[in-house]
Amino acid sequence: MSTATPTAPTTVPSPRPTEPSQSRAARARRWLLAPKTLIIAAVAAIIGYLALVPLYYLVWGTFFDETGFSFGGFSRAYSANGIGDLISNSLLFAVGSAFLALVMGTGLAYLNVRTDVPFKPLFFAASMIPLIIPGILYTVAWIFLASPDIGLLNKALEPILGPGFFDVFTIWGMIWVEGGHLSPIVFLLMVAAFRSMDPSLEESALMSGASRITTFRKVTVPLIRPAIVAAILIMVVRSLESFEVPALLGLQNGIYVFTSRIYFVLRSYPQDLASAGALALGLLLVAVIGVFLSNRAGKNSKNYQTVTGKGFRPRPIELGRWRPVAGALIVLYFLLTVIAPLLVLLYTSMLKFYRAPSAEAFKSMTLDNYRELTNLSQAGTALKNSLVLGLGTATVVMLFMSIAAWIVVRSKSRLRMVIDQLSFVPLVIPGLVLGLALSFVYLRSPIPIYGTLFILLIAYVTRYMPYGMRYAVTSMQQISGELEESAQVSGASWWQTFRRVILPLLAPGLVAGFIYILVVSFRELSSSILLYSPGKEVLSILIFEQFENGQFTVLAALGVVMVLTLVVLVTVAYKLGAKVGLKSD
Amino acid sequence: MRSTRVRLTCTAALAALALSACGGSPTSSSGDSGKKGGSGTTDAESFYADMEKLSGQERRDALVKAATEEGELNLYTSMTSDVADAVASAFSDTFDIDVNTYRAGSETVLQRVIQEQKAGFNGNDVVETNATELLALNQEGDLAEYTGERRDMVPEAGVFEGWTATRFNLFSPSWNTDTIGKLGGPPTKWEDLADPRFDGQLSMELSDSDWYLTLYGYWQEQGKSDEEIDKLFADMADGAKIVKGHTVQGELLSAGQFGVVASNYTYLVERVKQDGAPVDYMPLVEPVIARPNGVGLMKTAVHPAAAMLFTDWLLEEGQAVLQEEGLTPSIPSSGDDPLKGLEVIPVDVDKLLNESEEWNKKYEDVVSGGEKVDN
Repeated sequence: MSTATPTAPTTVPSPRPTEPSQSRAARARRWLLAPKTLIIAAVAAIIGYLALVPLYYLVWGTFFDETGFSFGGFSRAYSANGIGDLISNSLLFAVGSAFLALVMGTGLAYLNVRTDVPFKPLFFAASMIPLIIPGILYTVAWIFLASPDIGLLNKALEPILGPGFFDVFTIWGMIWVEGGHLSPIVFLLMVAAFRSMDPSLEESALMSGASRITTFRKVTVPLIRPAIVAAILIMVVRSLESFEVPALLGLQNGIYVFTSRIYFVLRSYPQDLASAGALALGLLLVAVIGVFLSNRAGKNSKNYQTVTGKGFRPRPIELGRWRPVAGALIVLYFLLTVIAPLLVLLYTSMLKFYRAPSAEAFKSMTLDNYRELTNLSQAGTALKNSLVLGLGTATVVMLFMSIAAWIVVRSKSRLRMVIDQLSFVPLVIPGLVLGLALSFVYLRSPIPIYGTLFILLIAYVTRYMPYGMRYAVTSMQQISGELEESAQVSGASWWQTFRRVILPLLAPGLVAGFIYILVVSFRELSSSILLYSPGKEVLSILIFEQFENGQFTVLAALGVVMVLTLVVLVTVAYKLGAKVGLKSD
Repeated sequence: MRSTRVRLTCTAALAALALSACGGSPTSSSGDSGKKGGSGTTDAESFYADMEKLSGQERRDALVKAATEEGELNLYTSMTSDVADAVASAFSDTFDIDVNTYRAGSETVLQRVIQEQKAGFNGNDVVETNATELLALNQEGDLAEYTGERRDMVPEAGVFEGWTATRFNLFSPSWNTDTIGKLGGPPTKWEDLADPRFDGQLSMELSDSDWYLTLYGYWQEQGKSDEEIDKLFADMADGAKIVKGHTVQGELLSAGQFGVVASNYTYLVERVKQDGAPVDYMPLVEPVIARPNGVGLMKTAVHPAAAMLFTDWLLEEGQAVLQEEGLTPSIPSSGDDPLKGLEVIPVDVDKLLNESEEWNKKYEDVVSGGEKVDN
């Protein structure tokens, strides 16, 4: 019904101005000018525009060179030495990391939202930390922890397990580090899903004699399937694209993955955009199939609509004698994925250079690196710009994607599949290519945003649209249509319904997406580096510069400061989010 | 009250995005309007030519006068930020000219300049970056001719069409002083790196194909056959730990993750060493491989006087600033040339420019162990 080009019909005069057709024209005009139509059309147009600009650039760059149409990029990209190993390594790494992150993230979310597990306050802020630590620091922290040569864990456990028990430079080490780094995405998605789930279904199962595990397997998991599918989809694509972990851990033992190749083809001159594009289009294919499957898993079914007109109040399940076990598991998770790497960073940030802990090392500790941070000329500007961009991106994305999610899940529009697929496209476009595409367009566009923060905002909104969309769609699929129908029957307009009924019900998912985007936009580097201008630096650029300078210990200090800043921000966001969303207790 | 404000904000955001969405459609970007033709000189070029007729203090005075009127300079560089900050503030303190610095990795600097120039957007007046990228920019026809007394003092290995070397990055092996004893002492010649005593202890960098092709050419000149050279590199790569990024490599070397690094930049190792880390690169292994980094003037500079003044200054007073930052300036100051008496060979820029794809591929095969040579 709705369409992206609302102008044409209004200007066409009716051929025969009879009474009924006039009223039809008037109805059409009313429909076209209704807020609902306008908003939907605008959101659809914006998503299309944001996704198609870089996609067009990528496709054009992949198939056309000076001589015209060519498949050269594909043959160069997919005929390299050892492409078979490359594909199997990439897939094992991606699927392994996604699976690990899924298990950890879902388990934690379930315990946190649905049970009376101990240490809850600790949970939220702390579970965000792997997400906040820049990938390069997180990975190097793990080298210091689990390298067979210098790893602290290996040294500590050597008397029990023998030398070099943990080896981070294997595919399993890579999966562990990447999975740990990704698990917060799943955690956030799943927290939202569990929050919106009516626990009476589980209670019925328990009352009918099912064990807790059976209930979880047969009732809980099927109910949150849309969220699980979304999480798997995002994580597989993300780990296929991940760069730091394969570059720092895989290469040492010659484990090559896709992104190592994208790196090689993009750094050459003249840039081999065609090969990079061919690899990215391979990822796009995976993603398109994934979105399709995800929709089949979540759409046209009322099975997942757990938020209905019936009131419910999520009540935590009492774990009973399992409570200490769950508590211990959580403590272990934190020790391993949060505390250990963070301690290594904190330790490194107080040294002049990294060395194994010893009395001498502790004696040499200073706060010089932190002092150096305050001397960085652009630190203040960068922090301010990152805050503006992070908050702006998170707000814009979640607002638009909540409307887009409504179109995709609720409307009967034929455009809905297209919008869903388009919103996912940016996930597979390498950041550098996005940067190239945007500078290409806005250097030639009459809109003077090249060289301003606004071009970075567009880049960030484009990059994080897919995540926002998954968060919003997943939540939308859980909300029953009958709530909107009731509102409309009671005389509310579409916009009133959306604002007063849908948005509050979506709140857990929207807050989760908001926080995720806020955090990751602090880290965005690959498109920012090409698009920023003097005076418009962002934090990730400073991180990159400290890294290039060889100031690893200063970088660690910067990482610690970022973690603290974002923990505060995330806590505030949750406090605000708790006010609008469903109460968890 | 609150909801009104929220609504207003939403409307504003919507309007802003809608506005931007309507304007720049991807199809409006087909024209290559900004492309420079081969013929005709730009205003900046004629300005440079006029200035080049002057020399000494006369040239400096004329440039200072014109540059002060321009008031600012747009510099794109891949100098690390501490060096870039030192250079920019020294220049702007001396002449009271604002320097707007865009800083990124050399490949990104190249991409940015090419994108802007193709669109006819004159973002920078001057560019300071690595040899490979400057060669590419010159090939694109973006760099203006530059002559002067200071350029004439740069060694031949640093004088190129369109750009002039300001500093050299030196490639030489480095090692962890705690562990090198157990490995039989530091390498004294490049061939040592292939020695089995370093198996499992040597680290190579993923993208050092410039080092690779230069050493390859040097060995060819020394009379080694290609098979021998391939074997040497294959023996190095055998058991080597491949790392992406010289910084991480330096950090992991000092942490003891490996004992020897094949081709790190000496200034990076020096920096960690200054902090007290157990690393060293002296005595240097000869021939020391030097990769020029340089400065080029843009044909389309909006502030040509500032650009030229900056270039003159960087090759004169700026050289001392670079040296203070631990870099190797292209015009050695008399007396304390650290490379005195050593055999230094420049990176083979010709190969770098014309055969880069082939050499990148070859080096990639070496480090990935893709093509083992069994002779």
